[in-house]
Amino acid sequence: MSFASAGSFDPRGPVASEIADLWWLMLALGTAVFALFLYLLIRGLMRSDDKEAETGSRWFLLGGGVVLPAVIVTVVFAFTIAAMRAIPTEASSDPIVIEITGHQWWWEIEYPDLGIRTANEFQIPLGREVELRLTSADVIHSFWLPSLGGKLDLLPDYTNTLILQADEPGDYGGMCAEFCGLQHANMAISARATTPDSFNQWVSGQQAPAVAPSDELTEQGLKVFLSRECADCHSIRGTPASGDEGPDLTHLASRYTLGAGVLDNNTENLADWISSPQDHKPGIDMEDVELTEAELEALVAYLETLE
Amino acid sequence: MSDVSRPNLPRVRTPPTDPVLDELWSDPPGLLGKLKAVQNDAIGKRLILTGFFFLLLGGSVDSVVMRLQLAVPNNDLVSPQLYNELFTNHGSVTMFLVILPIFEGFAILLLPLLLGTREMPFPRLGAFAYFTFLMGGLLYYSATLFSAVPDAGWFAYTPLSGLEFSPDLAIDFWVLGLGVAEVGAIAAAVEIIISVLKMRAPGMTLSRMPLFAWAFLVTAFMILFAFTPLIIGSMLLELDRGFGTQFFNVDAGGSSLLWQHLFWIFGHPEVYIQFLPATGIISMVIPTFMRKKMVGHTWIVGSMVAIGFLSFGLWAHHMFTVGLSPIVGSFFAGASMVIAIPAGVQIFAWLATIWAGRPRWGTPLLFTVGFLALFVLGGITGVMVASVPFDLQAHDSYFVVAHLHYVLIGGVGFPMFAGVYYWLPKMTGYSLDDRLGKWNFWILFIGVNVAFFPMHIVGLMGMPRRVYTYPEGLGWETYNLISTVGVFIIVAGIGVFVVNLILSHRRKVPVANNPWDAPTLEWATPSPPLQHAWSIPPIVTSRYPLWDQDDLYSGSEGDEALVEALGQWPLRWRAVLATSTADAEPEEVFRVGGPSIWPLITAFGTVTIFAAELLKLRLGALAGMAVIVIGAIGWNWPDSPPITEEEELEFEMAHKIPVRVGGSLTVARWGMGLMNLFVGIAFMSILLAYFYLRLDNPAWPPPGIENPSPLAIISATALIGVAGWGFRRGLRRIREGDGDGLLRGTGVALLAALGGVVIAGSHFIGLEFSSQDHAYGSVFHTLGWFILVVTTAAIVMTALIVYWTVRGEYSERRHVPVSNVGFFWTTAIIVWVIGFGVLYLTPALT
Repeated sequence: MSFASAGSFDPRGPVASEIADLWWLMLALGTAVFALFLYLLIRGLMRSDDKEAETGSRWFLLGGGVVLPAVIVTVVFAFTIAAMRAIPTEASSDPIVIEITGHQWWWEIEYPDLGIRTANEFQIPLGREVELRLTSADVIHSFWLPSLGGKLDLLPDYTNTLILQADEPGDYGGMCAEFCGLQHANMAISARATTPDSFNQWVSGQQAPAVAPSDELTEQGLKVFLSRECADCHSIRGTPASGDEGPDLTHLASRYTLGAGVLDNNTENLADWISSPQDHKPGIDMEDVELTEAELEALVAYLETLE
Repeated sequence: MSDVSRPNLPRVRTPPTDPVLDELWSDPPGLLGKLKAVQNDAIGKRLILTGFFFLLLGGSVDSVVMRLQLAVPNNDLVSPQLYNELFTNHGSVTMFLVILPIFEGFAILLLPLLLGTREMPFPRLGAFAYFTFLMGGLLYYSATLFSAVPDAGWFAYTPLSGLEFSPDLAIDFWVLGLGVAEVGAIAAAVEIIISVLKMRAPGMTLSRMPLFAWAFLVTAFMILFAFTPLIIGSMLLELDRGFGTQFFNVDAGGSSLLWQHLFWIFGHPEVYIQFLPATGIISMVIPTFMRKKMVGHTWIVGSMVAIGFLSFGLWAHHMFTVGLSPIVGSFFAGASMVIAIPAGVQIFAWLATIWAGRPRWGTPLLFTVGFLALFVLGGITGVMVASVPFDLQAHDSYFVVAHLHYVLIGGVGFPMFAGVYYWLPKMTGYSLDDRLGKWNFWILFIGVNVAFFPMHIVGLMGMPRRVYTYPEGLGWETYNLISTVGVFIIVAGIGVFVVNLILSHRRKVPVANNPWDAPTLEWATPSPPLQHAWSIPPIVTSRYPLWDQDDLYSGSEGDEALVEALGQWPLRWRAVLATSTADAEPEEVFRVGGPSIWPLITAFGTVTIFAAELLKLRLGALAGMAVIVIGAIGWNWPDSPPITEEEELEFEMAHKIPVRVGGSLTVARWGMGLMNLFVGIAFMSILLAYFYLRLDNPAWPPPGIENPSPLAIISATALIGVAGWGFRRGLRRIREGDGDGLLRGTGVALLAALGGVVIAGSHFIGLEFSSQDHAYGSVFHTLGWFILVVTTAAIVMTALIVYWTVRGEYSERRHVPVSNVGFFWTTAIIVWVIGFGVLYLTPALT
């Protein structure tokens, strides 16, 4: 697994930049206030000369206790409002619409206008707004890609809309930010921002149905998939498998991780994951699948063709 | 100047009645005596020790294990399940079972000394508060024995905490165990409010009252206003879990966010409920150790009151990420930031006092300085997270973990240490080692910064809260490792503290009455103080009596004679002085409750109800309710006054002050007033749920459910009106000494009210929709039954009044319970009219 985790310190889009600017401003103000406070505290404790009684105390209270915080807070509030206005709450024009549904503990991702269904990883074109429509199938989750912007909750009874944009290419990772049960820690999501061309390429790849098995081994693999419990929960477009409890696997091989960030997606891990998901992510709905070695080999070989 | 430390303390007298009174006020010996104990020293110490015990049991072991787990990435020291249980427990225990009881213990232990009175106003209520807190805590912890440990966080957000996603009993233990403890917290708050307002020494006007008492006065009111909505919210959650209602079920008209609103209406004030008592301690320590009266005393009082009010207007800043509209978001951002002003006033008042004084470097001052540094840092990050866009990044990340620990350890923990180092020698009579105290401070101060400062950074790098592990390669490793090291430094610091306590106990180095040359009343008493604290109640003429007064017995002629007389009489019953709220003029001498087993039994009944719900034994709840009713009756049973009315009258004539051996009039009135307030807040919380659900639903009532006919309720309302009228007439009659008139009036009230409740109750039982049909049905039935329960409580009280009237207990002079029940009837009728009005009339308004 490899996410570029610059975090909110290192913004890669307009929303995150806006927030980062606000943060550096508040950090500067906060540091100045703290330095002033420390100076007053230490000087006050160190003063050994005889005091001119309480003469200045009213100014101390009024200036330090009321005016200082009032000024600081007014400035912070003004910049807060400015940032809130600068951060879009609806897309300007022609956004890419992505519907993200939180599940315990993975992300269902759909591009309704493009006819794409996938899970846990998605792509966005550089320099264009994306409109994320967030909702949940079970408990409350929270969507957060720190390099691109702030977080927003996925609720079971509302759809929240988040507008984001990436200005630099990269993989932007994040994790579910609202405690959602046992495997809350293993619920990663990532967005890959690419040039419009390579985004379009990815889209047409995702739109296509799954590639048909091309040899005996993969043919066998598809059979295993259909005859065992896999198809009860997973879909592979272009085959009879149409379960909708778990992630869509039509283009599984194009994804970089398994189990919402638990394992890198490679042959060995895929076999491991299928036979013992409960070892890697205890408590998820997917049971350990008991297959013979030959069945597992065929199944993995088939799934690896699903580019 | 009077701020210079005085070599001569005011004269303190030790009258010959000291031992007699000390004996009179002692709790009975033996185990049974311990269970019957009501004395404020005992209750206060128990609360503090039990809180500390829960901290060691839960709060601290949890954090060490969690930090070990997070020391390195991809660690598998603990399972995800155990980790989730640990952080749930850590938050729940510290927020509900540690900080609050310890502070309430401080208050109950110290307030009588500080205010110059002998006892809290309702000693038995104090005992009840302790036992409910203890039993609630044990019920919560007993989850471990059933392997159903709460694991949905200390905030227990729905739907995760609902039956569908948390099917075992874990959440029930959380809701019900902590629910019992919350009842205890409210009981103690009532006790604290009345003691501060009504039990001050003669002459201690509100403006002379110590800031410690102000802090607890504001805090206790906040507890009442904050914990009540939480209790209601918890009740709704438990109704969903145990009775199939639909408050939080999004598929049947419920809302996923209603819980968050109810929870944070409690949860945000809770932060200040923990913080204000801490500032109260700081405001006592600073004048003593800077040898200077507090600068800006009135400013501090004003800012505490302001914080109390403001803290209820900013709960939604915990919910910036749920998708609030920008208008709502900016309102709550502004409200949250405004609180920086009263906080700033307090900080600068302390700074000004520090500038004006000369420090004496005792351990309490060191912890105070540490408090200031850590709290200001936590306050600055607090303003940051109030900024909505920034909070969208910081929320639920380790940045917030850092912020809240600076506020809670720096802002609350350090003042607690300051308070213990300051007052413990007074309470035990033995000094604590100052050198070890300094080690304790420095290790802790360094540890807190090492543990929590890095969390700011790793949070903004993207590390969310409440994760049992994290991947490597994100640059989070070093920060996490440093935090883990920091926690071990903290443990070492706390270790030094424990060693210091043990050494103090072993060495038994006695302390003088006023080792710090402090200015407030408690330091005029012996270390440790007598059971009744004051044989001769002090007379106060200054905010800093031990610095400004030549003695504690000079005031107006009447006051002097009165306090003198109270040192001699009565020696056979526990007499305390109630004074007027603003000016502390003596108002009455009354008898406080003595040792009694009934508070324990009532607490046991309370916990039985909750435990029965846990085991789904509904009859057990009825049994618990019966125990409570019996307990409350036994608790309040009028016992024969140890003096005659003639003797009372004699003292009254001599000192022109009423003597009430049957219980105080004013204090009982305040008690009933606060009980009414509690009922009112609970009622408003249910109304809030009603209107929230209503606005959340497109149709109200939902399709398939008809508005029920109001006819039955209208006739029941008429009967309740008759009951209220009857009770008022009875009350008026007894004021004229007419016992028969009282019997007629209360008898009519009893019968009419019974009729009204039976009609309304059977109407509710016959309704065509149940509490399980849609959130509409849930809230309709819940609100309706709430009203009926309140009215039934009034009926039970009326029945007792009728019984005691028949036995001739009441006279023109002694009828306090009658007027109190009349007061309750007013509330019950208001709740009835508004409640049923909302249920039956408002749906027509749309």
